[in-house]
Amino acid sequence: MVLGTDEFIPLAQAQVSARGLPSLPVVTVPHPIGGIPASLVAAKAEAIVERVLRALTENPDASRAAAGGAGPSMEAPGDIEEFQTWLMEQGWGDGLPAIPPTRERVARMLSGTRRRPDDIAAILVPRLGRASVEAIAANAVMAGARPEHFPVILAAVEAVADPAFNLQAIQTTTHPCSPLVIVNGPITQRLGIHAGGNVLGQGARANAVIGRALRLTLQNVGGARPGKEDRATHGHPGKYSYCMAENETASPWEPLSVERGFAAGESTVTVCGSEAPHNINDHASTTPANIVTTVASVMATVGSNNIYLGGEPLVVLGPEHAATAASSGWSKDDFRCQVWEQSAVPLASFAQENIARFATIFPGGFKDRPPGAVARIARDWRDIMVVVAGGAGKHSALIPTFGATRSVTRRITDEQNEGGR
Amino acid sequence: MHIVDPASSSAAAAKTLAPRPVSLQGVTIALLDNSKPNASVLLERVGELLTARGGARAVRVWGKPGSSIGASVAVLEEIAAVARVALTASAD
Repeated sequence: MVLGTDEFIPLAQAQVSARGLPSLPVVTVPHPIGGIPASLVAAKAEAIVERVLRALTENPDASRAAAGGAGPSMEAPGDIEEFQTWLMEQGWGDGLPAIPPTRERVARMLSGTRRRPDDIAAILVPRLGRASVEAIAANAVMAGARPEHFPVILAAVEAVADPAFNLQAIQTTTHPCSPLVIVNGPITQRLGIHAGGNVLGQGARANAVIGRALRLTLQNVGGARPGKEDRATHGHPGKYSYCMAENETASPWEPLSVERGFAAGESTVTVCGSEAPHNINDHASTTPANIVTTVASVMATVGSNNIYLGGEPLVVLGPEHAATAASSGWSKDDFRCQVWEQSAVPLASFAQENIARFATIFPGGFKDRPPGAVARIARDWRDIMVVVAGGAGKHSALIPTFGATRSVTRRITDEQNEGGR
Repeated sequence: MHIVDPASSSAAAAKTLAPRPVSLQGVTIALLDNSKPNASVLLERVGELLTARGGARAVRVWGKPGSSIGASVAVLEEIAAVARVALTASAD
């Protein structure tokens, strides 16, 4: 059986259903358990022990069936405005207007791939939803995508389902994170996936619809409904859509895809379990070392998931900062190594209760450390991710991650689109 | 208007719960700590009370690699082999 707090009941119920055990008993205590004295937690235990005893010794009613899909197609209101209301009532919208995924529109979306509509691209948690190519196409239509965007969307869905990404946690955590899609290679030019000024803002259709299609697929097929299975305390605006291209022509270094072993002419998606961007302002520095000082200082903070869970914080260097960082012959590795070295926070800066908690999660970093010890923002300098994007200006962006997640890079494989149209 | 179902079907396979013991008398209880703060306090106190009131023989605690990472198959198999009932936690 499962013990939980009342706030987390929707997630617990989704879990037992997805595991095929919808009648597994769930007993709740009032939220929260964490961040309160142990004596109060023990009192909560006393209040539920009789219910736990019954749940463990009485066979539950097994008549509750696991929730299944409604079928491949269904009837929806034909009026475009009524459709929006209906979509939200189904729990399938994100609040913005969506295009109805009619059979005709989904068929057009499917023309963007050679894959069969019933091919399962991924099984998406927490619901264990079958992300068939057709179901992903339906969400892509709703997001406003066009057929030529579809191979990027398919690759992104496959990437988030890689076990290294830890999608279960990304979908259900209280932490504000969402998959950031970074696209590399020639497909960015062909589709107009924006990499320049306002790269993480509004205004580029390809970025908007690719990120939104992934989000709607994760919400609807994966079953991460806001406030239900998606337990985000705040979330962030990138949960509507979070997609960018690397500004390869403005970068002094090799692109992310090449760094990860792909050929320069190959197109890839990389997904990261990312927070919202945080600005790094430096209008004065003219040397790599001084840029590093500013970047590392913005990264080094006690309230970050990365500092105790590890993971790969991402630095999106603006082209002007990148040019400064690469001057004097610095490589990308030189830069990330120096950033990591300087992203040090004295353990004395942490609250003692957090030191005690982090010591159980990351003993090497926080348990019985000598006076003067520091914690760094990543476990290893190689975990500092660096891409170049954005337009003119002396700004960069820090994008921390959930921590217990690894970025995943996948080649965009659809030949029909990769061959040009 | 006909639309394509954007949720698709679920691959969740229906399973049958093991029959419950009629009492906890002499039973070993497994606690799977989700490693969130105070989860162990709640679970262990429930375990103590179940021992006192239900007559359980023993309470044993297992852990997960982290709160956002599932228990290993080895841990789940060990729990299944050692314990008659298991409690786990979900939440903050």
